[in-house]
Amino acid sequence: MSESAIITTHNVHLWYNEKRALESVSIKIPRNKVTALIGPSGCGKSTLLRCFNRLNDLIDHVKITGEITLDDKNIQESGTDVVMLRKKVGMVFQKPNPFPKSIYENVAYGPRIHGINDRSMLDTIIERSLRHAAIWEEVKDRLDDSALGLSGGQQQRLCIARTLAVEPEVILMDEPCSALDPIATAKIENLIDSLKKDYTVVIVTHNMQQAARVSDYTGFMYLGKLIECGKTVQIFEHPQEELTENYITGRFG
Amino acid sequence: MTDKFHTELKNLKAETLEMAHLGRYMLRTAVDALIRQDNELAASVIARKEKIHEMEVRIEEHCYHLIALNQPMAKDMRTIACTLKVITASLRIGRYGKVIANIVEKISDQPHLANLMTIPHMADLVTGMIDDSIEAYEKDSVAAISDFSLRDDTIDSLRQSIFREGITYMMEDPKSITRCTNYILVARYLERCADHACKIAENVHYMNTGERIEIH
Repeated sequence: MSESAIITTHNVHLWYNEKRALESVSIKIPRNKVTALIGPSGCGKSTLLRCFNRLNDLIDHVKITGEITLDDKNIQESGTDVVMLRKKVGMVFQKPNPFPKSIYENVAYGPRIHGINDRSMLDTIIERSLRHAAIWEEVKDRLDDSALGLSGGQQQRLCIARTLAVEPEVILMDEPCSALDPIATAKIENLIDSLKKDYTVVIVTHNMQQAARVSDYTGFMYLGKLIECGKTVQIFEHPQEELTENYITGRFG
Repeated sequence: MTDKFHTELKNLKAETLEMAHLGRYMLRTAVDALIRQDNELAASVIARKEKIHEMEVRIEEHCYHLIALNQPMAKDMRTIACTLKVITASLRIGRYGKVIANIVEKISDQPHLANLMTIPHMADLVTGMIDDSIEAYEKDSVAAISDFSLRDDTIDSLRQSIFREGITYMMEDPKSITRCTNYILVARYLERCADHACKIAENVHYMNTGERIEIH
């Protein structure tokens, strides 16, 4: 990858207890691009994604070795401010998980934690975030309604707006569309495409067609290893590795 | 589901091979009919025109169905892309066979001039190239097509020599003009068929390696 990398991992190994989940993963995530991670269930793609904002810290008996840098700073170091790291590296999950609060408060939550309480400033941030997440027009007249009353696709875009409100540099998405219908999926995919102007997106997906549609780069993982990573067009037209070829053409197992 | 898709892909290749062999058969048989001045044989080639057209339409639709329903990737995608090119080339080869068969009827009332010059030899070389390109598609192998550039040069030289030779006969005797003009046309059609064999070869190369080449 010739573009400048925002996240780089070097020789990362990860164990859950005795079980090795990642083996010698070295990858560069290019800035302002969409990178997709694909691979069969249990191959380590979600684990790798969670390394980028140290979400694996929350799991007991995890051991990580190797180097993970964000903007050339090693985030594995003990002095790393994890709250600041997760502000810079936001995350969106498979199932939309809005707080049981109003639409407004969902998006205001992050900025408030980071000390912003001025109402007009919050209003600005919330409108900008909701616009950026392509949901403003649908909710602008009912910001005080409960977020739980939104449809699944709207809830997911609200969660993206919540992530954007703290102005991250990177957005991690773990299967962001697998709980959504095709129309809501298309909206999220369009949104991903527009987000890369301002952010770097890393998306984990089971859906290879989705990876092919939305990403600029694709990494294929298998049994904890990064088998191949390159331009999406190349991975889907003529991958270099036989394993990748077998996986994407469904000749696996 | 992917097993079903890969079985369908195999069937697609089998149908395509059948069509490629029909195109090749039409060309070869038309040249044989020309050599033997056999109008009946020529008519049998013309009668196959509809069949090869139908096959082309059917296989093309089959390709589109497979793409729409399975979103093929990597070599599966390249195989379908290559197949679409192979059927176009095969249709053209078959149609040149039909055009040559039409010529047989036009000039069968007069004996051949100069043993058809080098047309029989040229036809052997061209059908050899078509055979090898079809075999490469069938066996997923680029071995048989590695020398296509050289072979295509030979075909081009033969076409030119037939053209020059034809001109000399026509200058000597105006009664030879009809026959010689048709010989020159046949040489031109054969040369186009070799180009189509090269097109198949280029696409088989892409199918197998993912890299594009150009055979001049």
